[in-house]
Amino acid sequence: MRKSTLSSLSVAALAATAAPLAAQDYTDARVAIATTETISGYNPYADPVVLMGSVWCQVYGCVTRYDFDAGEFIPYLAESVRAIDELTWEITLPEGLTRHNGDPVLAADIVHSIDYMANNPGSGKSFLVSDWASVEAIDDLTVHITTQTPDATVPDNLAGVQVTSKALFDELGDDMFRQAPYGAGPYKLVEVSIGQHMIIERDDAHPMTAQNNPAQIMYRIMPEPEQRVTALANGEVQIAQGVPPQLMQRVRDLPNADIATTNSVEMMFLAMSPNTHPWDVHEARQAVVHAINREAIVRAILQDQATILHGPVSEGQIGFDPDFTTPFEYDPAKARALLQSVDLEGVEVTLSTPVGRYTADRQIAEAMVPMLEEAGFTVTLDTPEWATLWANVQQGNVPFYYMGRGSMIDPSRALHQYFATGGSPRIGFSNAELDELLGAERSEFDPEQRAQKMQAAIRTLVDQAPAAFMWQHQMGWGVSNDISFQPRPADRADGWEIFVN
Amino acid sequence: MLLYFIKRLAGAVPVLIVVSGIIFALMQLAPGDAVTMLISDEASEADKARIREAWGLDRPPFIQFLNFLGNALTGDFGMSFRYKMPVIEIVLERLPATIELAVAATLIAVGVGVPLGVLAAARPGTAWDAIASAFSFAGISMPNFWLGILLILFFAGYLNILPSGGREPWGLGVESVTGFLIIDSILAGRWDALGAALKHLALPAIVLGTNMTGIITQMTRAQVLDALREDFVMTARSKGVSEARVLWRHAFRNAMVGVVTIIGLEFGTLLSGAMIVETVFAWPGIGSLLINGISSRDFPLIIGLVLVYTGMFIVMNLLIDLFYTLIDPRIRMN
Repeated sequence: MRKSTLSSLSVAALAATAAPLAAQDYTDARVAIATTETISGYNPYADPVVLMGSVWCQVYGCVTRYDFDAGEFIPYLAESVRAIDELTWEITLPEGLTRHNGDPVLAADIVHSIDYMANNPGSGKSFLVSDWASVEAIDDLTVHITTQTPDATVPDNLAGVQVTSKALFDELGDDMFRQAPYGAGPYKLVEVSIGQHMIIERDDAHPMTAQNNPAQIMYRIMPEPEQRVTALANGEVQIAQGVPPQLMQRVRDLPNADIATTNSVEMMFLAMSPNTHPWDVHEARQAVVHAINREAIVRAILQDQATILHGPVSEGQIGFDPDFTTPFEYDPAKARALLQSVDLEGVEVTLSTPVGRYTADRQIAEAMVPMLEEAGFTVTLDTPEWATLWANVQQGNVPFYYMGRGSMIDPSRALHQYFATGGSPRIGFSNAELDELLGAERSEFDPEQRAQKMQAAIRTLVDQAPAAFMWQHQMGWGVSNDISFQPRPADRADGWEIFVN
Repeated sequence: MLLYFIKRLAGAVPVLIVVSGIIFALMQLAPGDAVTMLISDEASEADKARIREAWGLDRPPFIQFLNFLGNALTGDFGMSFRYKMPVIEIVLERLPATIELAVAATLIAVGVGVPLGVLAAARPGTAWDAIASAFSFAGISMPNFWLGILLILFFAGYLNILPSGGREPWGLGVESVTGFLIIDSILAGRWDALGAALKHLALPAIVLGTNMTGIITQMTRAQVLDALREDFVMTARSKGVSEARVLWRHAFRNAMVGVVTIIGLEFGTLLSGAMIVETVFAWPGIGSLLINGISSRDFPLIIGLVLVYTGMFIVMNLLIDLFYTLIDPRIRMN
């Protein structure tokens, strides 16, 4: 196994590329972003929502971040993050790194942050760090993380670790989040209005900010897509997150804005739990994959705003193989033949789907029903309230459902969770060969080797078909002509990637 | 009068306990809990169990309820699982926005519905009556969320004269004294802020008040028509009293008891409608907060908010009872 070192695009290196400008050169323009997410409060660890997590990373700074251009995790606050042996990762902080109040950022802060995330009831993100055996400050600038087994996903997990101050926490406890939210990120926290908005302000002294990044950014909750688009049209906001396919043309027609799309990196799939009949029969699961005309659904319902999946990942994600195509093309006759071969023609199944959780989820599930029936299934459509469905899915009580799974730039955690033996009850799938392949990719630190092992695991997964992989939505962002912003895969709108024209 | 008040308020306590018990039981019957909804789906079962314990969700439901009741009697409604803040603090922060919206909607409903209903009753069977009926039935039958989106598209999108949502523009900078933005703007002498606040209030208040307007119009029409057929109206007319005076002074005043009763009852419907309207307009009140609470199974927040809603409904009806004595001297508090 090779030792892995993340490329050292550190804060110090950024300082060299972003030449400091005089204060008067910095724009004082403000940008409002209409978001669909929740704003739960001041605690950066409370809510696992992706977009807000990235906002908190802008304030506090996270240990790593994903570089979408380079296609790898790179240090963010850290100077370097590297594996020094199979079980130990070393984080080194740059010298002289300070918070917005001038306090130094120390190794003890990282240890404290990870400990809070793992053990405090106020944390909703314990899953990122709770499997680690130990986290230790070696000196003021060095942290060692020891994992229980070789784990190549540590840099991915560290991208969700906001580094808050141990000294301030010792002094103020949880009140620190509200009274002293001093981070070391490129933006400072100005205001949080729970359930409404959050305002951050550019730190001109930070090496990641440029003169034409917005002086202030407001992330403003607007749950209704019509409202987001209208607010973009009349200039109330400059960026509108989550423009659904049916409103994209309207945004394109606006004189003051345009649409920008990006891959959601969220696999949409039909899960089939082998713990229930008929999904315990391999041929029945394969019949489902053959039965769904994904091209027709993407064209007619999603208006081509989706990327059809041949496995759980697409281009840009770890483990994507451009040469791999699913062996389960749309073929209702073959699907029916498969069902007939195992004497299951006419078998009754219930397809559960959330409503309003994902783009056109109900319409998509309604379109799937006749497709499945053409293949020989007798289908009942179930559309429970999201909280009810989600609770039942997590307990393994839903045999057949349409669902999405995000945060899959590195798909390892998701694949283990859904498809490894004991990963979770939500599908309850178990296959020794797949377990071995997933274990192998998780413990491989060399990126190329790991990608190959991931691809092998994905091929086995697709063949076993505990899920029918459907598509990844193209996420539409409305962007005002007053700014330049190219959205990245996964929901995020970072200030340093927004430029005032 | 004071004794009457105290009696009525004391009578509300068992109502609040029963309501909280029903809500708690319903929450227990619903699948899932706050841990399922608020903790990442990647959390391990061990992590979830640890958080359940920390939040007290591992205890028997009856014990959880007794704990809640005991604390609630001291004014402590617990901590919100989602917002990690005392429920009472969150509710008090958001309550003024809902009251402001509800009052504005009620004023619109009364201001439009009462004159329209009187007009229809004064000219039954005419075009005015038909227009008033059509308007009121449209108001009653139109779904809030649909009308809201329609008005956003027209006034914010097409005409661009009103904001699409929210309670205030970014950077309004009015110091919060009462929490009521309109009052705070007046107190600060900030007429620009008052204008901005009213512009933000206009669409959600119109949408919220539309249904109530329809009902008040119909109710006023029916009550005034009844009153106009009474003997005392005939007497007044025979004495030569002007038709306007007959209508407003004699018929309408007698019809008001029924109209006011409906306003009180409809206030509850209006509050439930506020949940949808607040969500559509991103209005930062307790209605949208309750929707978020339900979707995340945030039990303390849900019960706290339902109790606030119940309390508001009780107080509103108490005020209506007091109002009866003003409009009809025959009614006494005893």
